[in-house]
Amino acid sequence: MTECPECAASVENSDKVLGEVFPCRDCGTELEVAATEPFSVQPAPREAEDWGE
Amino acid sequence: MSEGFRLGIFYTIVRPEEKALLAAAEARGIPTARYDDGEVTFGLEPPADLPGVVINRSVSHTRSVYATRCFAHYGVPTVNAPDVVDLAGDKIRTSLRLAERGVPTPRTIVALSPEAARKAIDRIGFPAVLKPAIGSWGRLMAKVDDGPSADQVIEHKSALGAPIHSVFYVQEFVKKPGRDLRVFVIGDRAIAAMYRRSEDWRTNAARGAAAETAPLTPELSELSVRAADAVGGGALAVDLMESERGLLVHEVNPTPEFKVLAATTGVDIAGGIVDYAVGVGRR
Repeated sequence: MTECPECAASVENSDKVLGEVFPCRDCGTELEVAATEPFSVQPAPREAEDWGE
Repeated sequence: MSEGFRLGIFYTIVRPEEKALLAAAEARGIPTARYDDGEVTFGLEPPADLPGVVINRSVSHTRSVYATRCFAHYGVPTVNAPDVVDLAGDKIRTSLRLAERGVPTPRTIVALSPEAARKAIDRIGFPAVLKPAIGSWGRLMAKVDDGPSADQVIEHKSALGAPIHSVFYVQEFVKKPGRDLRVFVIGDRAIAAMYRRSEDWRTNAARGAAAETAPLTPELSELSVRAADAVGGGALAVDLMESERGLLVHEVNPTPEFKVLAATTGVDIAGGIVDYAVGVGRR
């Protein structure tokens, strides 16, 4: 369990892996798993111009 | 599997696709090595403990181009190969290659200045589509219906500043039946296909298009494999449109998303990519 860096809502580590990106359930901010032990999150990288498939 | 063989995953962020690849490797008993594209560094001498193969899943075209070259420098093959990443990540080079190989593709004109862009659009005719040469998910694409809107889009693109925005990729607007097709090709085989339906003229899954399984007809499979082969082959997603002239290939994606395609068709795409990559690593 940790906090969303944007809205401070509780964020649970339910089977998430390092680097996984997911939205905060409260504020919708895209978060990235920064560490699993102990669990911590950070804002996900912002989409850059050359991103794509 | 020989002792010590590891499968590398080079990534920007971990999405369902990357999780599926890691899970597929684990299910096959293949150890994985993860390379975060924002953290990894590449020296000129090969580091110790290299993986047997790397699946490139970076969403950055620029990082993908250089990283796959660096892994190749170390003697580590990548899926996809550096030349494939370089070529298929650039819509202009892809169009040239598709034309060279006789793969049907929309009428396209490249212009290298704002003035030339307007001439290119006039030659293509209205409506015309302007796409960025690099990048996807339907961003920075514009459909221009007349001269004034063409001038505005050209002006806005030029104002973005970077030299690449003064390279104009102009394409005919293909009247498609409210959907396009995505086919996943691994090696010499098309393994899954879906329709992407949207009210928007852009039918990217990233823009919320609805998906539906499409039959892999011999014509669709053969054309998709030809398109993938034209850019060098590997694990690629080929995007096609149904037009009055028949099927047209408009993109070949070298780092494709497949979450929606796998869920829609039930095909184990992640497993297919891992098996293919292991085969490449064992060559």
